[in-house]
Amino acid sequence: MSGCVADHGCITCGDVAIPMRVVKIDERRRLALCADADGGRETVEIALVEPVSPEEWLLVHAGTALSRAPGQRPVAVPGPEAALA
Amino acid sequence: MKFVDEFRDAELGRALAGEILAALEPGRHYKIMEVCGGHTHSIYKYGVDDLLPANVELVHGPGCPVCVIPMGRVDDGISLAHEPGVIFTCFGDMVRVPGSNQSLLDAKAQGADVRIVYSPLDALRIAKQNPDLEIVFFAIGFETTAPSTALTLRRAKAEHVGNFSVMCSHVTIVPPLRALLESPDLRLDGFIGPGHVATVVGARPFQFLPDQYGKPVAISGFEPLDLLQSVLMVLRQLADGRAEVENQYARVVPWEGNVRALEIMNEVFALRPHFEWRGLGFISQSALRLSDEYAEWDAELRFSVPGVRVADPKACQCGEVLKGVIKPWECKVFGTACTPERPIGTCMVSPEGACAAYYNYGRFAREREVA
Repeated sequence: MSGCVADHGCITCGDVAIPMRVVKIDERRRLALCADADGGRETVEIALVEPVSPEEWLLVHAGTALSRAPGQRPVAVPGPEAALA
Repeated sequence: MKFVDEFRDAELGRALAGEILAALEPGRHYKIMEVCGGHTHSIYKYGVDDLLPANVELVHGPGCPVCVIPMGRVDDGISLAHEPGVIFTCFGDMVRVPGSNQSLLDAKAQGADVRIVYSPLDALRIAKQNPDLEIVFFAIGFETTAPSTALTLRRAKAEHVGNFSVMCSHVTIVPPLRALLESPDLRLDGFIGPGHVATVVGARPFQFLPDQYGKPVAISGFEPLDLLQSVLMVLRQLADGRAEVENQYARVVPWEGNVRALEIMNEVFALRPHFEWRGLGFISQSALRLSDEYAEWDAELRFSVPGVRVADPKACQCGEVLKGVIKPWECKVFGTACTPERPIGTCMVSPEGACAAYYNYGRFAREREVA
């Protein structure tokens, strides 16, 4: 997982959340081991998005999952539908 | 990469740029503020502004949490870091922020135990591993980050971790936006709203922008296509004479926010009556302290902090940059005395800071073709 480096921006102190896949869930501690697209792993607080299942994608910020990460494309606005279809 | 690549498609970007051009009123100059530092970073990393006509100006807002921390607050943190028996933990960017005499990194070089963490949970883990020491977490960030601190404090309370405390410097986004709109030296046409703050608080809190100030808003995601589409949404509202909160980032942002996060924040935090923002001065009810229920974990109550107000360096124009009054390159010390390696102002420290974003991605172009 990228940290405070200029290329990626600071994932923790900036308003940045990154998609992470749930690998394993610790039900007792209400934490999940998650992996980002580069394979970096992190223990993630899941209290805000429970229940979650393995293989689900979460949006993680500062070690906390803020929401599920849906796979949909940008929401179309009137006009450029063709561009975003 | 899933969820990312589809939002960076160059062809779609060019198509959106064409739509943006078509939505403009000839001869009109548009100023749209992207509130969030993460947006500023994405705009310059992906060259989003290069796809915009010159008469669409993106103004960088106060949404970088590192950039808005005043120097006196940094000094308070450094003072705590120098306390014997303290491990001082903070996010990476904070260590390089200059205080009046030194940064946390300098303090570490002098022997203070300053450690970078990626989440408050890491700080709590350090506390459990070092029961004989005091672990202080310097909590910064907007409503995106505050739930993480709140959940960690809940764990500290539940698990009776007594050697952990938080120096709470969390801030809220709505009061500085009001302060900016009340500022006489700034004229804005609309806003690109902060997507991940809104994931927590929802789109609803931004309704005051159209209702009270007549300004259109598009809550935006962070990929290049998200940002282009959000600019288009704001421009379309202006063309139609509408002022609404539109949610471009609806795939993540619910109108009501994350109710659980709001409940937990309400339990753990209380509003401070006033808080000083770098460049913006004191703003009422714009920051969070720990609630009475969590006072036991409040580092400012556990330790003695100087709490001295320190004026920003005279050469630094972070205040004007944060208000969008000047562009980073218009600052007298930009790229010369102030660089990411040796920052004078906070806007050059964090990659989310407007100055650092300009500097790192070589955005020195000052003229673009007018549509």
